[in-house]
Amino acid sequence: MMTRRLTRNALLTAVALIIFVVELAIPNPFPVPGVKLGLANIVTVYAMFKIGPADTLMILLSRILLGSMFSGQMMSFFYSLTGGIFCYLVMLVLVRILSTHQIWVCSVIGAICHNFGQILVAIVLTKTTALIVYLPVLVISGILTGLFTGFAAQFLCEKMEKLRMNTP
Amino acid sequence: MVKTRIWALLLGGIFLACVAAYFVLDGMQPAGQVANIYQNGVCIASFDLSKVAEGETYVVQDSHGCNIIEVEPGRIRMKEADCPDQICVRAGWSGEGAKPIVCLPHRLVIQIEAEANMQGTDALDAISN
Repeated sequence: MMTRRLTRNALLTAVALIIFVVELAIPNPFPVPGVKLGLANIVTVYAMFKIGPADTLMILLSRILLGSMFSGQMMSFFYSLTGGIFCYLVMLVLVRILSTHQIWVCSVIGAICHNFGQILVAIVLTKTTALIVYLPVLVISGILTGLFTGFAAQFLCEKMEKLRMNTP
Repeated sequence: MVKTRIWALLLGGIFLACVAAYFVLDGMQPAGQVANIYQNGVCIASFDLSKVAEGETYVVQDSHGCNIIEVEPGRIRMKEADCPDQICVRAGWSGEGAKPIVCLPHRLVIQIEAEANMQGTDALDAISN
């Protein structure tokens, strides 16, 4: 069972990393620090609902560490890590109160919290509280990208459920 | 179990509130005419945008990297930077909005404020640099 778990987590981390690296190649049309699609969150949300919180944390941390290395921007590590942990903590609560048809809600609120965590790190690192003016933009972008990744995750969960039923 | 409709309403409400907040902040005028440049939260230079000459540049170089700041009467921008994301450069000219220009990888912030925030030296010294 351990081997199975290890393989599955490694596979999901790899998938998340690939999505993350592909996303790096997509140019960001908005010159606002912190705005991004966050497609790798699809994997986090999926793991949260279908596997469990402990394994999700392992996948999330591995992806953030390796993702920062692969992108060559170790500076972004702290932003991603804080954002990721904020997102994870809130999902920990949401996964208990949401039904399987409300998975997208988890993603949206997770994205908002992720951006909130990022802006908090930015304020601490630059010691500039004025960065808070970026909060509305980041929440708006969090809601929009969270909706997209959320529905993608929900779709994934439903499809995987069908796949599982078909496997002997 | 909270109904999906409640969640949608809640998130929609947050969305609308943020759109409103965005437009309010966007319409806000900067507090003054002085551009303060902060590195790691410490003001390293100040420019009085009502007094600067055309096309003046100011170079910030440290272990994080290099940023070239350009000032013009009434406005300021990050002209060049060797940061990976280039967000500060693409933010363009500041001067209309109250939003600071940020270069997160270099922990550099340009903010338009009412008065010069240079510590120690006189702000006018920075302008002549």
